[in-house]
Amino acid sequence: MTLAAADNRSSWTSAIRWRSVTGIWLRHWTSYIRYWKITITWVLIEPAVALVAVGFGIGQLVVEVEGANSYAEFVTPGIIMGSAMFHALFETSWNAYHRIDNQIYETQLTTPITVFELTLGDVAWAVTRSLMTTVSVAAFAVALGWIDQWSAVGILIPAVLSGMVFGTMGFFFAATAPYTVFLSLVFTLVATPLYFFSGSFFPISVLPDWVEPVAWAMPLTPAVHMARGFATNSLEFSHLWSGLYMVGMILVFWPIAVWLMRRRLIK
Amino acid sequence: MIRVTNLYKRFGDIHAVNGISFEVKKGETYGLLGPNGAGKTTTMRMLSALSPLTSGSITVGGIDVTKHGREVRKILGVVTQHDGHDSGLTVLQNLSLHGYLEGLSLKQAKVRAVEVLTFFGLEDRAGANVYELSGGMKRRLAISRALLTQPPVVVLDEPTTGLDPQSRNRVWEQLAVMKRAGVTVLMSTHYMEEAATLCDRLAIMDHGRILDEGAPDALVDQHAGEEVAQVRTESETALAALRERLADTPYRLHEVGAMATVTSENGKRPDLTGLTGVRVTYRQGNLEDVFLALTGRELRDE
Repeated sequence: MTLAAADNRSSWTSAIRWRSVTGIWLRHWTSYIRYWKITITWVLIEPAVALVAVGFGIGQLVVEVEGANSYAEFVTPGIIMGSAMFHALFETSWNAYHRIDNQIYETQLTTPITVFELTLGDVAWAVTRSLMTTVSVAAFAVALGWIDQWSAVGILIPAVLSGMVFGTMGFFFAATAPYTVFLSLVFTLVATPLYFFSGSFFPISVLPDWVEPVAWAMPLTPAVHMARGFATNSLEFSHLWSGLYMVGMILVFWPIAVWLMRRRLIK
Repeated sequence: MIRVTNLYKRFGDIHAVNGISFEVKKGETYGLLGPNGAGKTTTMRMLSALSPLTSGSITVGGIDVTKHGREVRKILGVVTQHDGHDSGLTVLQNLSLHGYLEGLSLKQAKVRAVEVLTFFGLEDRAGANVYELSGGMKRRLAISRALLTQPPVVVLDEPTTGLDPQSRNRVWEQLAVMKRAGVTVLMSTHYMEEAATLCDRLAIMDHGRILDEGAPDALVDQHAGEEVAQVRTESETALAALRERLADTPYRLHEVGAMATVTSENGKRPDLTGLTGVRVTYRQGNLEDVFLALTGRELRDE
């Protein structure tokens, strides 16, 4: 592939060196648990606060919602997937930019690692973070009785896929950001609109007709849809399409992410 | 051990490296000496497979960097210009996780990390955050990181830039130990003392080209002379007389800054007796003078 030819470090066909991937993942894990007292607030406490506020608070106002027994049940998978998105996206945008800016990637690239393996390790870590927040918030929701534990296990599937979709997407920002403030766009352009308009807080069907297809095309929507399928035990074909849509995005986003990162790091 | 042939690097319209060739033998310490922007860093980045070549070739230990970048990085220890330490990790974690990424087992990596920390006198800082280290310590940590896997070839980009003289001496001592251990070293620097102290041979670089290469003493003899004259004068006429005196001789007058320097192309001390209105002092020729003689400019732009 021409993408690989531009770089003397790797080709898509060459074997993946798994040590590179585990090495990067281990670096993230080591750093993360050093600060676990801080990081847990984002993994568990912040989304749990949102869950309780919205589930209890707004739930009081909502008498009936399409496709769930209560508003709390409706909103639980949405908030969990939103949190999974935030973690993955933040990891490969803000944190990856920090690693570019402080030559941490450069140091890693002096070992026998390729840029593709670097993104593999980072995305593996982004997925780990999506899973950590999904497991902890879902466990909390199970305790509240808003989701049953078997459905919660099913939600891990869209959590992994979101980790990969947003983990690869985050690199678009890290690799092109000229300065740190640029990364605010991650929130203003991606995370915040997606958080609110992906069917997390209200069914997409309440949106004006012309907005609906746009909302369905947004990258967080399939994750929320699939998670809700598991949460409300209403799995059908449309959830499979959501899964395939996410796989499609991953297959498109990943090569772009690698290309952009290579352009940024190897020059 | 390292062979660079006809190497070019272009960034758009900028010719950062403009057709250089050199060779570093096994166990040798080879320096690239030149001012900022001479192409030293770009050359070292290409050698470490951190930058694609525009044309030419580089082999390290007989392995082609372009074709087998991964294999080259297995035998290469790299100290990049920026320390590139990981602020999310402790000093020891920085090393042991780097060693793991290099291919050591976690256990081996930890053992080696402690060994290199001890060698560089940083063992009592193992649990510290990297941002708590002084500049000199950070630099030593970067060098120790490059030595984790005991690579046969080490590339150091400006190992002592920005360090105070004490820290610089300390780094030099340790590089000398490394050299005695038989490691092949390629280093870049814009400090002529550093090049003169550490390098067996060096290349004088400017504007992406190698102007000359050789052993430090040989280069000084050839381009500057064992002794150079420094001329101080405030009189234009005296300077003009000096210029005339030196015309068609093997001596060259370089008027840079407040002082004029006379270098020699035949190794002999320039005879400046009988000139009026000037103060002449003689001192030992050095690599600065070589650079001056080759480019007409001073090496240091500080």
